[in-house]
Amino acid sequence: MKFDREHIRNFSIIAHIDHGKSTLADRVLELTETISKREMHDQFLDSMDLERERGITIKLNAVTIKYKAKNGETYLFNLIDTPGHVDFTYEVSRSLAACEGCLLVVDATQGVEAQTLANVYLAVDNNLEIVPVINKIDLPSAMPEMVKDEIEKRIGISCVNACEVSAKTGAGVPDVLEAVVKYIPSPNGDDNKPLQALIFDSYYDSYRGVVVLICVKNGSVKVGDKIRLMAANKEYEVTEVGIRTPKEIKVDSLSAGEVGYLAGQIKDIRDVVPGDTITNAIQPCEKPLPGYRKMNPMVYCGLYPVDSKKYLDLKDALEKLSLNDASLVYEAETSQALGFGFRCGFLGLLHMDVVQERLEREYGLDLILTAPSVIYHVYLQNGDMIKLDNPSKLPDLTLIKEIQEPFVKAEIMTPKEYVGPVMELCKERRGIYHDLQYFDDTRMIITYELPLAEIVYNFFDKLKSYTKGYASFDYEYSGYYASNLAKMDILLNGETIDALSTIVYKTNAYERGSVVVRKLKEIIPRQQFEVPVQAAINGKVIARADIKAVRKDVLAKCYGGDISRKRKLLEKQKEGKKRMKAIGSVEVPQEAFMSVLSIDDE
Amino acid sequence: MTNSTNNKSLYIHIPFCEHLCPYCDFTKLFYFEKFSKPYLEALFKEIDSYHLIKMDTIYIGGGTPTSLSDIEFESLLKKVSNLLNRGGEFTCEANVENLTSQKLSLMARYGVNRLSIGIQSTHDERLSQIGRFHTFEKARDVIKNARDVGFKNINVDLMYGFPGQTLDEVKDDVNNILSLKTEHISIYSLIVSPGTLFFNKNIKEQNQDDSRLFYDTILQMMREAGYERYEISNFSKPGYESRHNLVYWHNQEYYGVGLGASGYVNGVRYKNTSNFEKYLAGDCVSEREKVDQKLLREYFLLTHLRLKEGFSLSEYKELFNKDFLQKYQTKIDEYAKNNFVKISDGNFAFTDDGLMVMDRLILSFF
Repeated sequence: MKFDREHIRNFSIIAHIDHGKSTLADRVLELTETISKREMHDQFLDSMDLERERGITIKLNAVTIKYKAKNGETYLFNLIDTPGHVDFTYEVSRSLAACEGCLLVVDATQGVEAQTLANVYLAVDNNLEIVPVINKIDLPSAMPEMVKDEIEKRIGISCVNACEVSAKTGAGVPDVLEAVVKYIPSPNGDDNKPLQALIFDSYYDSYRGVVVLICVKNGSVKVGDKIRLMAANKEYEVTEVGIRTPKEIKVDSLSAGEVGYLAGQIKDIRDVVPGDTITNAIQPCEKPLPGYRKMNPMVYCGLYPVDSKKYLDLKDALEKLSLNDASLVYEAETSQALGFGFRCGFLGLLHMDVVQERLEREYGLDLILTAPSVIYHVYLQNGDMIKLDNPSKLPDLTLIKEIQEPFVKAEIMTPKEYVGPVMELCKERRGIYHDLQYFDDTRMIITYELPLAEIVYNFFDKLKSYTKGYASFDYEYSGYYASNLAKMDILLNGETIDALSTIVYKTNAYERGSVVVRKLKEIIPRQQFEVPVQAAINGKVIARADIKAVRKDVLAKCYGGDISRKRKLLEKQKEGKKRMKAIGSVEVPQEAFMSVLSIDDE
Repeated sequence: MTNSTNNKSLYIHIPFCEHLCPYCDFTKLFYFEKFSKPYLEALFKEIDSYHLIKMDTIYIGGGTPTSLSDIEFESLLKKVSNLLNRGGEFTCEANVENLTSQKLSLMARYGVNRLSIGIQSTHDERLSQIGRFHTFEKARDVIKNARDVGFKNINVDLMYGFPGQTLDEVKDDVNNILSLKTEHISIYSLIVSPGTLFFNKNIKEQNQDDSRLFYDTILQMMREAGYERYEISNFSKPGYESRHNLVYWHNQEYYGVGLGASGYVNGVRYKNTSNFEKYLAGDCVSEREKVDQKLLREYFLLTHLRLKEGFSLSEYKELFNKDFLQKYQTKIDEYAKNNFVKISDGNFAFTDDGLMVMDRLILSFF
């Protein structure tokens, strides 16, 4: 099954969450008989359980499709899926770099959303051909003409070639396939040049070593070739090449314009960096492909195994996970309270959530996450500057001249009736007002400058609930500015617990302290003795609550000598206790560490 | 301790009741003659299978043993009394409502020497709320009758922690119960177990602060009246501890027969089926647990530590080849500091405070 470049189309789908991207992909797979109805389950490309459960795409995924067009000729499509959430912009840029075009899916009842714009601009930056697809036209509230108008005005893309479809019913989907053939250019590249292949993803397989997903830009690669990973400067012999349909099918070779995988008994996952270029070791290319813009983590937290004996398992799992999640960074750290663990950086809160769930599900680990923190710039009296990613490590106050925190410029689009509550929320979160503009007749765009630390925790949830789910939110980093900040310590039974320290805004520290101690009192179960929970700033206690002592914990009834039942109950309790972290003589449940970010009493 | 020749105790379960109490989660069913007749046949077969002689303690529990007809009840007592050793303890449970003078004289005739009567509350409104069909007046009469027939060792059960119960009601209950002057009193808090009517009605157990307050009050009143709490839930006048129950709490073996009964024979803890048909078919035991050294130690602690006297440290060392105090020194020091444990006369035991939270404390020794 060999196709000349003229008959290859590499494209991706860009869409806002819920606008129907995965459903459209499902229909395309069905229509081209890539996957039979029998094998089909919803959201086929979202192969992670987590993705299907949450209805989101986290990892990009590639699939090869054969399509017989109306002109009688057969084309090879490489569909590369993209995540829709702003946290995963990095993944989007990875998939777009492997494409010549994309489908822009817009919900005919919703119109263009702020987050979609960011990805569309990425596509424009990559010089991709964009084909608009207006989805959900079967719904009574669909307004395809208005939405097309919006796309032309807001994004500046012509909608002459736009397709109107219902991914749910399948109506109009054949037109989309034709549009791919007609409007998306075939890849350029030269089979005769030395090999240049872009690594856009990889995963580990215990039999074949690291399996590398590549897009061949120039040259070709076949089994037996000696290849070099240019950034890692490592050489391997290719043992297998193939395409994914989405089942893996071995092929003889991959040439310029083709998308597929290769394996070469690559044992060290760290050698394979997405964005790196693979070339032929004997006939190398002159320089690597441009690769990707490295995304910087925005949010940091401590990650510890509940059972400290699992430290090495966690290390191993992080290593494997970072193999196909280049945006995940981590380094070892030690906490007095939690023992050995890692400080990890994430693109955002959803990313953090996803990593935690994957570690727990795929690697069977019980984890404690400390409250997420941003990176503070701490200027010392002696002129030095420290980049602080762990609040407990803040130097003594007498040494500090100034603390700066990162700010973001946030654009919030909301129906105009919710402008009041949204501005109220931004004000609560120490936002600085910039701008308020009409987006169209019914919606407004509000621009605020906000401390990143204030949007890290439940800002998006709040925003959604204030606007009945209608607001969308996008932000970009805007710079570091000085703020009136201090470290708030939490003491359990009189001892400072480093893993519970946070950086707070001094002005509302008292309020914050009392919410946090109340919350901890709720979460930490009664202990053998009364345990005071205190919040302190600079060693001065600002709030206190007491966890009561257990008063009665005994199963007194034990009939006819049936003590086995009781022993089994205790065995279960013992298992339950293993999920708690013993800090000194206090047993603390996992969720307590996150609760220090509680902002109110919900 | 686990030598079967030392096994001299027998528990017999009679699963029938005239009414089902809304809080009870023991194995029980409505009394019908067509059930009771084949049941007793199967029960006798199971008893015979163990070739028992000269039991030191026998305990007939339920359910409600006294829900059997007089003829059935007599055949049961006749069968069982032959197994009792001279001077043995022979207990039978009874409900106030069906402890008739006929039943009392049958018991006396066949050597029952200890009565255990479920009174539960001394307030008539409370009694009807918890599905008991007697009055406190009736309970008083029944005990008087029992004394008249010659019973010198009587236990009554009392419960507390009912929904909406006040401390005054509890104090009143204790005073009323004390006025009966029985030798032994068992006191339990209401537990709402899945499968019971109370559970289905979403009735909640009392919160631990109130429950503890009630219990501390009860404990004090009982002690002032000359009763000793020798086990978590059991009080007695000196010398009237239940010998049968002490077998359980000394982790000694015992035979258990009847539907849903549990037993401990030749190093195996077992539980009988709760399936009536299976039981009638002679398929008695449904679960078996071989007590290895690890389990033996856990059971040893679980049972002995319910007792006021706890366990003998030298016996522990003999059985498990370890010095208990040394092994758990840090935990024990911590517990001692909080007044949860005491060590005296070579025994390790929980204090009053420790007993009330023993389920969490004991986990440190597992």
